[in-house]
Amino acid sequence: MQATVTKLPATVLALALGAAFTSLPAAAQPADKEKCYGVALKGKNDCAAGPGTTCAGTSKADHQGNAWSYVAKGSCEKTASKTSPTGFGKLESFKEKKA
Amino acid sequence: MTLATDLRQADFAAALLDPERPCPANLVAWNGSDPSARFAVYRNNVVFSLIEALADTFPVARRVVGTESFCSMAAAFVRGHPPHSCVLAQYGEAFPDFVADFVTHFAPAGELPYLADLCRIEMARVRAYHAADLDPVAPDAVNAALACGEDIADITLSLHPSLSVVESDYAVASLWAADQTDADADAMSWDRPESALILRDGLDVLVRPVNLGSARFVQAVQQGLSFGSAAAVAAHGRPAFDLSATLTMLVRHSALTAIHPPFREPS
Repeated sequence: MQATVTKLPATVLALALGAAFTSLPAAAQPADKEKCYGVALKGKNDCAAGPGTTCAGTSKADHQGNAWSYVAKGSCEKTASKTSPTGFGKLESFKEKKA
Repeated sequence: MTLATDLRQADFAAALLDPERPCPANLVAWNGSDPSARFAVYRNNVVFSLIEALADTFPVARRVVGTESFCSMAAAFVRGHPPHSCVLAQYGEAFPDFVADFVTHFAPAGELPYLADLCRIEMARVRAYHAADLDPVAPDAVNAALACGEDIADITLSLHPSLSVVESDYAVASLWAADQTDADADAMSWDRPESALILRDGLDVLVRPVNLGSARFVQAVQQGLSFGSAAAVAAHGRPAFDLSATLTMLVRHSALTAIHPPFREPS
Protein backbone atom coordinates (compact mmCIF):
# COMPACT_ATOMS: atom_id res chain seq x y z
CA MET A 1 0.00 0.00 0.00
CA GLN A 2 1.29 3.46 -0.87
CA ALA A 3 2.06 5.69 2.09
CA THR A 4 0.51 8.64 0.27
CA VAL A 5 -3.01 7.21 0.32
CA THR A 6 -5.39 9.64 1.99
CA LYS A 7 -7.79 8.26 4.58
CA LEU A 8 -11.47 8.88 4.05
CA PRO A 9 -13.28 10.58 6.98
CA ALA A 10 -15.24 8.22 9.27
CA THR A 11 -18.46 10.05 8.43
CA VAL A 12 -18.03 9.25 4.73
CA LEU A 13 -17.49 5.57 5.56
CA ALA A 14 -20.50 5.44 7.89
CA LEU A 15 -22.77 7.22 5.42
CA ALA A 16 -21.79 4.87 2.60
CA LEU A 17 -22.31 1.77 4.72
CA GLY A 18 -25.60 3.05 6.11
CA ALA A 19 -26.89 4.00 2.67
CA ALA A 20 -26.09 0.54 1.30
CA PHE A 21 -28.40 -1.04 3.85
CA THR A 22 -31.22 1.50 3.78
CA SER A 23 -31.57 0.91 0.03
CA LEU A 24 -32.05 -2.81 0.63
CA PRO A 25 -35.52 -4.18 -0.21
CA ALA A 26 -37.26 -5.26 3.02
CA ALA A 27 -37.60 -8.99 2.31
CA ALA A 28 -34.30 -10.13 0.89
CA GLN A 29 -34.54 -13.67 2.24
CA PRO A 30 -32.23 -16.23 0.62
CA ALA A 31 -34.31 -18.65 -1.45
CA ASP A 32 -34.89 -22.13 -0.02
CA LYS A 33 -33.48 -24.95 -2.07
CA GLU A 34 -34.33 -28.56 -2.71
CA LYS A 35 -32.41 -31.42 -4.28
CA CYS A 36 -33.91 -32.10 -7.68
CA TYR A 37 -33.20 -35.34 -9.55
CA GLY A 38 -33.18 -35.75 -13.30
CA VAL A 39 -32.74 -32.11 -14.35
CA ALA A 40 -28.94 -31.71 -14.45
CA LEU A 41 -27.26 -31.59 -17.83
CA LYS A 42 -24.48 -34.12 -18.32
CA GLY A 43 -21.35 -33.31 -16.37
CA LYS A 44 -23.13 -30.54 -14.46
CA ASN A 45 -24.70 -32.51 -11.61
CA ASP A 46 -24.04 -31.10 -8.16
CA CYS A 47 -23.03 -34.36 -6.49
CA ALA A 48 -22.51 -38.12 -6.69
CA ALA A 49 -24.32 -39.93 -9.46
CA GLY A 50 -24.40 -43.47 -8.12
CA PRO A 51 -22.10 -46.48 -8.10
CA GLY A 52 -18.83 -46.03 -9.94
CA THR A 53 -18.95 -42.25 -9.82
CA THR A 54 -17.84 -40.36 -6.77
CA CYS A 55 -17.83 -36.71 -7.62
CA ALA A 56 -19.68 -33.80 -9.11
CA GLY A 57 -19.67 -33.36 -12.85
CA THR A 58 -19.63 -37.06 -13.76
CA SER A 59 -23.18 -37.78 -14.95
CA LYS A 60 -23.01 -39.30 -18.40
CA ALA A 61 -26.22 -38.09 -19.99
CA ASP A 62 -28.50 -35.09 -19.88
CA HIS A 63 -31.23 -35.44 -17.23
CA GLN A 64 -29.74 -38.56 -15.61
CA GLY A 65 -32.26 -39.91 -13.09
CA ASN A 66 -29.86 -40.44 -10.20
CA ALA A 67 -27.99 -37.14 -10.60
CA TRP A 68 -29.31 -34.10 -8.79
CA SER A 69 -28.97 -30.34 -8.77
CA TYR A 70 -29.96 -27.75 -6.21
CA VAL A 71 -32.91 -25.74 -7.45
CA ALA A 72 -35.19 -23.14 -5.87
CA LYS A 73 -37.70 -24.77 -3.52
CA GLY A 74 -40.95 -25.67 -5.26
CA SER A 75 -39.48 -25.42 -8.75
CA CYS A 76 -38.14 -28.97 -9.08
CA GLU A 77 -41.38 -30.68 -10.06
CA LYS A 78 -42.02 -27.91 -12.57
CA THR A 79 -38.67 -28.34 -14.34
CA ALA A 80 -38.90 -30.39 -17.53
CA SER A 81 -36.92 -33.66 -17.56
CA LYS A 82 -37.14 -35.72 -20.71
CA THR A 83 -36.09 -38.91 -18.91
CA SER A 84 -38.53 -38.67 -16.00
CA PRO A 85 -41.68 -40.83 -15.90
CA THR A 86 -43.68 -37.70 -14.97
CA GLY A 87 -41.95 -35.51 -17.54
CA PHE A 88 -40.59 -33.28 -14.75
CA GLY A 89 -37.82 -33.34 -12.16
CA LYS A 90 -38.45 -35.42 -9.05
CA LEU A 91 -37.45 -35.01 -5.40
CA GLU A 92 -36.14 -38.62 -5.31
CA SER A 93 -33.91 -40.47 -7.73
CA PHE A 94 -35.71 -42.48 -10.41
CA LYS A 95 -35.09 -44.94 -13.20
CA GLU A 96 -34.92 -43.06 -16.49
CA LYS A 97 -37.36 -43.83 -19.27
CA LYS A 98 -35.91 -43.63 -22.76
CA ALA A 99 -36.01 -40.06 -23.93
CA MET B 1 3.34 -49.90 -5.98
CA THR B 2 6.41 -51.24 -7.69
CA LEU B 3 8.65 -49.18 -9.91
CA ALA B 4 7.62 -51.34 -12.87
CA THR B 5 3.94 -50.51 -12.27
CA ASP B 6 4.75 -46.81 -11.96
CA LEU B 7 6.63 -46.88 -15.23
CA ARG B 8 3.84 -48.72 -17.01
CA GLN B 9 1.27 -46.21 -15.72
CA ALA B 10 3.41 -43.25 -16.77
CA ASP B 11 3.86 -44.83 -20.20
CA PHE B 12 0.12 -45.48 -20.50
CA ALA B 13 -0.79 -41.93 -19.41
CA ALA B 14 1.72 -40.34 -21.78
CA ALA B 15 0.44 -42.42 -24.70
CA LEU B 16 -3.15 -41.34 -23.91
CA LEU B 17 -2.28 -37.69 -24.49
CA ASP B 18 0.15 -38.06 -27.38
CA PRO B 19 -1.16 -39.66 -30.58
CA GLU B 20 2.42 -39.87 -31.90
CA ARG B 21 3.29 -42.45 -29.25
CA PRO B 22 2.74 -46.15 -29.91
CA CYS B 23 0.13 -48.20 -28.09
CA PRO B 24 1.61 -49.09 -24.67
CA ALA B 25 3.33 -52.47 -24.52
CA ASN B 26 1.76 -55.49 -22.82
CA LEU B 27 -1.88 -54.51 -23.45
CA VAL B 28 -4.09 -57.50 -24.21
CA ALA B 29 -7.58 -57.56 -25.77
CA TRP B 30 -10.05 -60.14 -24.46
CA ASN B 31 -10.34 -61.89 -27.83
CA GLY B 32 -6.68 -61.70 -28.72
CA SER B 33 -7.15 -58.98 -31.35
CA ASP B 34 -4.70 -56.10 -31.86
CA PRO B 35 -5.14 -53.75 -28.86
CA SER B 36 -3.84 -50.69 -30.69
CA ALA B 37 -7.16 -49.95 -32.44
CA ARG B 38 -9.00 -50.20 -29.12
CA PHE B 39 -6.42 -48.01 -27.41
CA ALA B 40 -6.84 -45.42 -30.17
CA VAL B 41 -10.60 -45.27 -29.50
CA TYR B 42 -9.97 -44.80 -25.79
CA ARG B 43 -7.33 -42.15 -26.45
CA ASN B 44 -9.74 -40.28 -28.66
CA ASN B 45 -12.52 -40.44 -26.05
CA VAL B 46 -10.26 -39.13 -23.28
CA VAL B 47 -9.20 -36.05 -25.21
CA PHE B 48 -12.61 -35.47 -26.74
CA SER B 49 -14.43 -35.62 -23.39
CA LEU B 50 -11.99 -33.07 -21.92
CA ILE B 51 -12.45 -30.76 -24.92
CA GLU B 52 -16.23 -31.07 -24.42
CA ALA B 53 -15.82 -30.19 -20.74
CA LEU B 54 -13.90 -27.03 -21.72
CA ALA B 55 -16.52 -26.16 -24.33
CA ASP B 56 -19.19 -26.44 -21.62
CA THR B 57 -17.23 -24.18 -19.27
CA PHE B 58 -16.23 -21.57 -21.90
CA PRO B 59 -19.32 -21.30 -24.18
CA VAL B 60 -18.85 -17.60 -24.93
CA ALA B 61 -15.18 -18.02 -25.88
CA ARG B 62 -16.22 -20.91 -28.12
CA ARG B 63 -18.79 -18.76 -29.92
CA VAL B 64 -16.33 -15.88 -30.26
CA VAL B 65 -13.59 -17.92 -31.96
CA GLY B 66 -15.82 -20.53 -33.59
CA THR B 67 -16.14 -24.19 -32.64
CA GLU B 68 -13.33 -25.41 -34.88
CA SER B 69 -10.72 -22.95 -33.59
CA PHE B 70 -11.88 -23.47 -30.04
CA CYS B 71 -11.50 -27.24 -30.31
CA SER B 72 -7.97 -27.08 -31.69
CA MET B 73 -6.98 -24.63 -28.96
CA ALA B 74 -8.69 -26.83 -26.33
CA ALA B 75 -6.99 -29.98 -27.66
CA ALA B 76 -3.59 -28.32 -27.32
CA PHE B 77 -4.49 -27.33 -23.76
CA VAL B 78 -5.78 -30.79 -22.82
CA ARG B 79 -2.57 -32.48 -24.00
CA GLY B 80 -0.39 -30.06 -22.03
CA HIS B 81 -2.63 -29.72 -18.96
CA PRO B 82 -4.48 -32.94 -18.19
CA PRO B 83 -6.85 -32.62 -15.20
CA HIS B 84 -5.49 -33.17 -11.69
CA SER B 85 -8.92 -33.80 -10.22
CA CYS B 86 -11.82 -36.05 -11.21
CA VAL B 87 -14.17 -33.07 -10.87
CA LEU B 88 -14.53 -32.05 -14.50
CA ALA B 89 -16.66 -29.04 -13.58
CA GLN B 90 -13.51 -27.43 -12.15
CA TYR B 91 -11.29 -28.37 -15.08
CA GLY B 92 -9.81 -25.43 -16.95
CA GLU B 93 -8.42 -23.16 -14.19
CA ALA B 94 -5.22 -22.80 -16.25
CA PHE B 95 -7.07 -22.35 -19.55
CA PRO B 96 -7.30 -18.50 -19.49
CA ASP B 97 -3.51 -18.14 -19.08
CA PHE B 98 -3.00 -20.73 -21.81
CA VAL B 99 -5.35 -18.74 -24.09
CA ALA B 100 -3.46 -15.51 -23.38
CA ASP B 101 -0.25 -17.19 -24.51
CA PHE B 102 -1.91 -18.97 -27.43
CA VAL B 103 -3.47 -15.75 -28.77
CA THR B 104 -0.12 -13.96 -28.60
CA HIS B 105 1.62 -16.67 -30.60
CA PHE B 106 -0.97 -17.95 -33.04
CA ALA B 107 -3.70 -15.37 -33.62
CA PRO B 108 -3.15 -12.75 -36.31
CA ALA B 109 -1.51 -9.73 -34.65
CA GLY B 110 -3.86 -7.69 -32.51
CA GLU B 111 -6.85 -9.99 -32.95
CA LEU B 112 -8.88 -11.15 -29.94
CA PRO B 113 -6.70 -9.52 -27.25
CA TYR B 114 -9.70 -9.80 -24.88
CA LEU B 115 -10.19 -13.57 -25.27
CA ALA B 116 -8.18 -14.60 -22.19
CA ASP B 117 -10.05 -12.17 -19.92
CA LEU B 118 -13.34 -13.40 -21.33
CA CYS B 119 -12.24 -16.92 -20.34
CA ARG B 120 -11.37 -15.60 -16.85
CA ILE B 121 -14.97 -14.42 -16.47
CA GLU B 122 -16.31 -17.78 -17.60
CA MET B 123 -14.04 -19.71 -15.20
CA ALA B 124 -15.02 -17.35 -12.36
CA ARG B 125 -18.67 -18.10 -13.13
CA VAL B 126 -18.07 -21.84 -12.68
CA ARG B 127 -16.21 -21.21 -9.41
CA ALA B 128 -19.03 -18.94 -8.23
CA TYR B 129 -21.64 -21.56 -9.12
CA HIS B 130 -19.90 -24.20 -7.01
CA ALA B 131 -18.84 -21.90 -4.13
CA ALA B 132 -20.16 -22.49 -0.61
CA ASP B 133 -23.36 -20.85 0.60
CA LEU B 134 -23.06 -18.10 3.19
CA ASP B 135 -25.80 -15.95 4.69
CA PRO B 136 -25.64 -12.15 4.39
CA VAL B 137 -24.47 -10.10 7.39
CA ALA B 138 -26.92 -9.75 10.29
CA PRO B 139 -28.52 -6.29 10.87
CA ASP B 140 -27.07 -6.22 14.43
CA ALA B 141 -23.52 -6.24 13.09
CA VAL B 142 -24.33 -3.40 10.70
CA ASN B 143 -25.84 -1.30 13.49
CA ALA B 144 -22.85 -1.99 15.74
CA ALA B 145 -20.49 -0.86 12.96
CA LEU B 146 -22.48 2.32 12.34
CA ALA B 147 -22.43 3.09 16.07
CA CYS B 148 -18.67 2.81 16.54
CA GLY B 149 -17.80 6.33 15.46
CA GLU B 150 -14.21 6.99 14.35
CA ASP B 151 -13.43 3.28 14.74
CA ILE B 152 -15.53 2.46 11.68
CA ALA B 153 -12.37 2.79 9.57
CA ASP B 154 -10.89 -0.16 11.43
CA ILE B 155 -13.68 -2.68 10.96
CA THR B 156 -13.07 -5.46 8.44
CA LEU B 157 -15.63 -6.88 6.04
CA SER B 158 -16.12 -10.43 4.78
CA LEU B 159 -17.42 -11.01 1.28
CA HIS B 160 -19.26 -14.00 -0.18
CA PRO B 161 -16.96 -16.90 -1.20
CA SER B 162 -18.43 -16.87 -4.71
CA LEU B 163 -17.27 -13.30 -5.38
CA SER B 164 -14.31 -12.70 -7.67
CA VAL B 165 -12.89 -9.85 -9.70
CA VAL B 166 -11.64 -9.78 -13.29
CA GLU B 167 -9.72 -6.63 -14.22
CA SER B 168 -9.32 -6.09 -17.93
CA ASP B 169 -7.98 -3.60 -20.45
CA TYR B 170 -11.01 -4.49 -22.55
CA ALA B 171 -14.78 -4.33 -22.05
CA VAL B 172 -15.07 -8.06 -21.36
CA ALA B 173 -18.05 -7.88 -18.99
CA SER B 174 -20.01 -6.04 -21.68
CA LEU B 175 -18.85 -8.53 -24.31
CA TRP B 176 -19.98 -11.38 -22.10
CA ALA B 177 -23.36 -9.70 -21.52
CA ALA B 178 -23.80 -9.03 -25.24
CA ASP B 179 -23.37 -12.73 -25.94
CA GLN B 180 -26.16 -13.58 -23.48
CA THR B 181 -28.66 -11.38 -25.27
CA ASP B 182 -27.72 -12.11 -28.90
CA ALA B 183 -26.75 -8.45 -29.20
CA ASP B 184 -24.27 -7.77 -31.95
CA ALA B 185 -20.97 -8.15 -30.10
CA ASP B 186 -19.01 -7.33 -33.28
CA ALA B 187 -20.50 -3.85 -33.31
CA MET B 188 -19.45 -3.25 -29.70
CA SER B 189 -16.57 -1.01 -28.77
CA TRP B 190 -14.61 -3.42 -26.60
CA ASP B 191 -11.38 -1.45 -26.75
CA ARG B 192 -11.77 0.26 -23.37
CA PRO B 193 -10.82 -0.88 -19.86
CA GLU B 194 -13.54 -2.49 -17.80
CA SER B 195 -13.59 -4.68 -14.72
CA ALA B 196 -16.11 -7.31 -13.76
CA LEU B 197 -17.47 -8.67 -10.50
CA ILE B 198 -18.62 -12.27 -10.70
CA LEU B 199 -20.75 -13.59 -7.86
CA ARG B 200 -23.63 -15.88 -7.03
CA ASP B 201 -26.77 -14.31 -5.58
CA GLY B 202 -29.00 -17.15 -4.37
CA LEU B 203 -28.90 -19.54 -7.31
CA ASP B 204 -27.98 -17.04 -10.01
CA VAL B 205 -24.40 -16.40 -11.10
CA LEU B 206 -24.06 -12.73 -12.05
CA VAL B 207 -21.49 -10.80 -14.08
CA ARG B 208 -21.48 -7.08 -13.31
CA PRO B 209 -19.35 -4.51 -15.12
CA VAL B 210 -17.74 -2.14 -12.61
CA ASN B 211 -15.15 0.61 -12.69
CA LEU B 212 -11.60 -0.03 -11.53
CA GLY B 213 -12.20 1.62 -8.14
CA SER B 214 -14.94 -0.85 -7.22
CA ALA B 215 -12.80 -3.76 -8.39
CA ARG B 216 -9.85 -2.56 -6.29
CA PHE B 217 -12.12 -2.05 -3.24
CA VAL B 218 -13.36 -5.66 -3.46
CA GLN B 219 -9.81 -6.98 -3.90
CA ALA B 220 -8.54 -4.93 -0.94
CA VAL B 221 -11.35 -6.22 1.29
CA GLN B 222 -10.65 -9.78 0.15
CA GLN B 223 -6.99 -9.29 1.10
CA GLY B 224 -8.12 -8.45 4.62
CA LEU B 225 -7.54 -4.68 4.59
CA SER B 226 -9.69 -2.70 6.98
CA PHE B 227 -12.78 -0.92 5.66
CA GLY B 228 -11.06 2.48 5.85
CA SER B 229 -7.88 1.29 4.15
CA ALA B 230 -9.76 -0.56 1.39
CA ALA B 231 -11.86 2.53 0.66
CA ALA B 232 -8.76 4.74 0.64
CA VAL B 233 -6.88 2.42 -1.73
CA ALA B 234 -9.87 2.26 -4.09
CA ALA B 235 -10.41 6.03 -4.07
CA HIS B 236 -6.74 6.93 -4.45
CA GLY B 237 -6.34 8.76 -7.77
CA ARG B 238 -9.81 7.64 -8.87
CA PRO B 239 -12.33 10.42 -8.24
CA ALA B 240 -14.99 8.35 -10.06
CA PHE B 241 -14.91 5.70 -7.33
CA ASP B 242 -18.29 5.61 -5.60
CA LEU B 243 -18.00 3.81 -2.24
CA SER B 244 -21.70 4.07 -1.53
CA ALA B 245 -22.74 2.58 -4.89
CA THR B 246 -20.16 -0.21 -4.55
CA LEU B 247 -21.40 -1.18 -1.09
CA THR B 248 -25.02 -0.93 -2.24
CA MET B 249 -24.36 -3.38 -5.06
CA LEU B 250 -22.60 -5.81 -2.71
CA VAL B 251 -25.38 -5.63 -0.12
CA ARG B 252 -28.15 -5.95 -2.71
CA HIS B 253 -26.63 -9.20 -3.96
CA SER B 254 -26.13 -10.57 -0.42
CA ALA B 255 -22.36 -10.47 -0.97
CA LEU B 256 -21.49 -8.75 2.32
CA THR B 257 -21.47 -11.67 4.75
CA ALA B 258 -19.85 -10.37 7.95
CA ILE B 259 -18.59 -7.23 9.66
CA HIS B 260 -15.81 -7.70 12.20
CA PRO B 261 -15.26 -5.10 14.94
CA PRO B 262 -11.88 -3.34 15.21
CA PHE B 263 -9.26 -5.57 16.79
CA ARG B 264 -7.98 -2.92 19.18
CA GLU B 265 -9.80 -2.33 22.49
CA PRO B 266 -12.10 0.73 22.52
CA SER B 267 -10.38 3.57 24.42
